[in-house]
Amino acid sequence: MSDRTTAAAGREPFDRRLARAVQRVTATALGPYQSAVVRIGFAAAWLFFLLREIPHRHELYGPDGPWAWDMAQELVAANRAFTVLMWSDSGLWFEIVYALAVLSAAALLVGWRTRAASALFLVGVLSLQNRSVFMGDGGDNVIHLMALYLVFTRCARVWSLDARRAARAAEARAAGERPRDLVGPLLWGLAVPGLVAATLLRDRSGEPWLLVLLWLLWAAQGAWWLVGRRAPGQPLALLDVLANLLHNAVLVVIMAEVCLIYATAGWYKVQGSRWQDGTALYYPLKLDYFTPWPFLSDVLAASGIMVMVVTYGTVIVQVAFPFTLFNRKVKNVLLAVMMVEHAGIAVLLGLPFFSLAMIAADAVFLPTVFLVWAGARVARGRDRLLRRTRPDGPGGAGRSDGSAPPPGEEDGTAGDAAPRTLVG
Amino acid sequence: MDARDGEAGEPAATADRPAEPEPAESGSPGGGAGAGIKGLTLPYQVAAAVALAVVVVVGGLHVGMVFLHVAPSNTLSKQHGRAMDDWVLPEFEQNWKLFAPNPLQQNIAVHARAEITDADGGRRTTGWVSLTAEDGAAIRGNPLPSHTNQNELRRAWDFYVNSHTEDNRANGLRGRLSERYVRRIALLKLEDQPLGGRIERIQLRSATQGVGAPVWSKERHDTRTYYRVLPWWTVTAADLPGGATGGRTEARR
Repeated sequence: MSDRTTAAAGREPFDRRLARAVQRVTATALGPYQSAVVRIGFAAAWLFFLLREIPHRHELYGPDGPWAWDMAQELVAANRAFTVLMWSDSGLWFEIVYALAVLSAAALLVGWRTRAASALFLVGVLSLQNRSVFMGDGGDNVIHLMALYLVFTRCARVWSLDARRAARAAEARAAGERPRDLVGPLLWGLAVPGLVAATLLRDRSGEPWLLVLLWLLWAAQGAWWLVGRRAPGQPLALLDVLANLLHNAVLVVIMAEVCLIYATAGWYKVQGSRWQDGTALYYPLKLDYFTPWPFLSDVLAASGIMVMVVTYGTVIVQVAFPFTLFNRKVKNVLLAVMMVEHAGIAVLLGLPFFSLAMIAADAVFLPTVFLVWAGARVARGRDRLLRRTRPDGPGGAGRSDGSAPPPGEEDGTAGDAAPRTLVG
Repeated sequence: MDARDGEAGEPAATADRPAEPEPAESGSPGGGAGAGIKGLTLPYQVAAAVALAVVVVVGGLHVGMVFLHVAPSNTLSKQHGRAMDDWVLPEFEQNWKLFAPNPLQQNIAVHARAEITDADGGRRTTGWVSLTAEDGAAIRGNPLPSHTNQNELRRAWDFYVNSHTEDNRANGLRGRLSERYVRRIALLKLEDQPLGGRIERIQLRSATQGVGAPVWSKERHDTRTYYRVLPWWTVTAADLPGGATGGRTEARR
């Protein structure tokens, strides 16, 4: 497929190629599986983290935690970070925000009303993390960034409840019915009090651009719904083009971000004497804060050769990764190596949430063939499980149709295709 | 970039599943989703073209700004540091110098001791308690260590050290905040210790010990413990976080 395209592109004049590229990025939300797996990965990382920390939530982010509410307020006033927890120091408000953060992560994970869920996810991540900046680590940092990026993507076109709903709506329309959607408008209405509150309390809601972004998202949902009902021709096509453009651009930004992470991590290591002499890995294995399994750490640390292989391997992979993107096979090998290394870090250094977040970020580079294969495997497993409890079989899974998104679709994420639903 | 986009956008061409329909590449005259820019009439095409330009410029600028933010200080970032910070901070702030340029090669433990009043009004000073050891014990054997054990005290101490001079003088707002922060963490962690009275004052110190040289190495490392002792702090109600009483019998609020 790509061979043919490249060959054809070679013969075509530049302007034709440009025109085709422009058509492609305006007509399609590229990387539907990659954006979906990034969505699922980050939602899962944050969701599992929040669930795990439920017993410690007050100590981490609560008004009476060691990083007290008024201390956070002083710092936030200076750096203008966004957090709705500065609206009030009440314990109830904190519990509500924590609960909403959990719910939004769950909704984003399964792709339920994904655009709204991703906006709430963004608010939840920023609110909690910016409330207590000194509690986080690299994993929180990458979740923070991806929460900001994901909100711009059409990341629920596959493997989501939204995709399943869109497929069902299209079927219903084909059968001459007019599917009605009440939840969408309801969510849209529910967002208003929150947005109004954020606007009224804008002097303690961080930098103004975030508030503008949230309002714009809200307005875009409204416009999508309205245009779908009143003017489904050209105006809807324009909205679709805009949504695709934004999705594709931000997908590239996400990829660039991952490359920057590895490039920074690798190139700064190259300068360190311990990475040069091949002993760097030894030291984290001897730090009290990063040795949940001292026996395992000692076993690895006991072999100078192993330590050196992993130390050099880490630097080589991190420095090389961005350049291997020009070669599919090499890229895929390095990707696998990095994911395995992060899985190792999860256990050995006791950083499971950091590792899960990094693996989710890496996943943006996974090949479509692999993702489709993995998705099919998971779907089959799920169907086999469900068949025991549900006699009518696998719902909308495995179904696809190429029709336009339903005009009433106002969360703007449901696609024209819902081939398989991993988590539906 | 082309190769990757091509791969990402390629339809799922696996044999055993129905292929995912690629949205129509050629614009359908009626418009609708998936028609792309070709499916638009001229005024809408202009709008789409403007959007494309804006998205490309803003996206490129963003990646450039983040690049300069993570890059070492250089000609460009020295000239435009202000614009960079305005763009990146606070929400896109990031630091990926993970264990770089060199990993931390010493264990830094925070110890605390307290001056307490016991039931009959006498004052005494407790021995040093390692707060970090409590964290370590909670992390060991735990597949899912909590941020409260792994990051809280460790990063708070970093924060304190970075916002103080060597003779423990605070640098402005961050210095003052970090003092209160480590104090509150210490009181929270001391809560589990049977001190046997009301905490009047506390004192903290850090114990830094270099990691010993590997057995397979001929290097020799200094593994003596170095202490940095902070002044005594009088404990007030404002230093008691939720869950800490400081040995006070009455509830705080």
